[in-house]
Amino acid sequence: MKIIVHRERCQGHARCWALAPDIYDLDDEGFVVPGDIDVKPQDEDRAWRAAKSCPERALTVEK
Amino acid sequence: MERLPEHVPPELVTSFSLYSSPEMVPTPMGDPQAAAAKALLAGPPIVYTPLATRDGVGAWVVTRAEDQRRVLQDGVTFSSFRNTFSAAIGESWPLIPLEIDPPDHSAWRSLLNPLLSPRRVVALEGQVRARAVELIEGIKARGTDCDVMTDFAFPFAVNIFLQFLGIPDDRLMEFVGWANDMLHSTPEARTAAAHKVLGFLDDLAELRRREPADDFMTFVLNADIFGRKMTPHEVRAMSILLFIGGLDTVAAAIGFDLYHLARFPEDQKDLRENPQKILLAAEEFLRAYATITPLRTVTADVEVNGVLMKKGDIVSCPSMVANRDPMEFPNPDKIDLQREDNRHTAFAYGPHRCLGSHLARREIVVGLEEFLARIPDFRIKPGTTPMSFGGYVFGVENLILDWAA
Repeated sequence: MKIIVHRERCQGHARCWALAPDIYDLDDEGFVVPGDIDVKPQDEDRAWRAAKSCPERALTVEK
Repeated sequence: MERLPEHVPPELVTSFSLYSSPEMVPTPMGDPQAAAAKALLAGPPIVYTPLATRDGVGAWVVTRAEDQRRVLQDGVTFSSFRNTFSAAIGESWPLIPLEIDPPDHSAWRSLLNPLLSPRRVVALEGQVRARAVELIEGIKARGTDCDVMTDFAFPFAVNIFLQFLGIPDDRLMEFVGWANDMLHSTPEARTAAAHKVLGFLDDLAELRRREPADDFMTFVLNADIFGRKMTPHEVRAMSILLFIGGLDTVAAAIGFDLYHLARFPEDQKDLRENPQKILLAAEEFLRAYATITPLRTVTADVEVNGVLMKKGDIVSCPSMVANRDPMEFPNPDKIDLQREDNRHTAFAYGPHRCLGSHLARREIVVGLEEFLARIPDFRIKPGTTPMSFGGYVFGVENLILDWAA
């Protein structure tokens, strides 16, 4: 599974980081670090849930 | 009432007002978020209200989450430029960065974001918790009841803010009074309070110019923006915003949360016995009891969900209404403390997402954790009646809790 990070839509809510800090990294301002994320099979559930929590819809899941 | 603009179709005009409708005015044991959502979600997605602000200006009301996201994410078409605060003292300048538009807005946010980032807030947690414990232990020592807003929520929120600004505690209640006058009082009291706060912040800036310290005001005075230092005016316009933003809203959120827990003893019992659930429950409370309504001004004619908005129109996006949009939240009126996929807009969407959201969340979670850990089963004190209200910032007052055996 892959998480597509639409960095330009991120507004720093940091809900992804709150739910899965080991999968989503933040920069000093609190925005998600640019670049798509390859998710390990054992992390898929948490990565998916964190992506769904984004109020701006800045994270999409690609199977 | 002003005359309706010609491009507003009569069938989209609503008589509902966040300021003057039933349950928006102070109401005994009311539920203003549910009332606003019920009234507005029954109608078309976008309506026009002739009474959108406390000054009686008309505006579009965008009620659905998807449309609010569209409006609030587009800071170019929908301008935040306003003079909410300065109007109270007969001037006209924007609060920084709340009432600033792109492209300057992002420079201001880049300066401020690191001060209130999620990681920075982790470092502030110790002092937040210490303050909550101190206030709650004081309440316990005084008896078996308390006024949530005046004994806990306001002093807690104000104190965290004062610590953040680097101001000693001894003027705490004075600040609470100013904040209350600025947000919920007569125009005369608003003006007087605005002058007092400005005077205070000017003095503080002057002091920190002479005697720098490790605090927010010193940071502001030393910071570079657009390749230069801030002007005294910019220092004002920014400190004022942090003053207003951090007080009323956090206190109101804590008030609504404890009001809910007093009315629904099963939820109180659940969180009391399972404090690890508070983190997720706080998100549900933010969704269900959101208090703010972002306003925007249209900069160029635009169509939103089939409705033509013209340049100069005001657009309001009540967060508590979008937060109960059934297209976004299944079974929205059920307060489900373990709700997941909770993409609420309590802190707005878009570039103006609440700068203090991470600190606010911490204050709410820590406040609830310590209150439930230290105060036994509580209820609304028999013979008293909480009053809730809508308006620019929704709130609750006279919330007297009692835990006598």
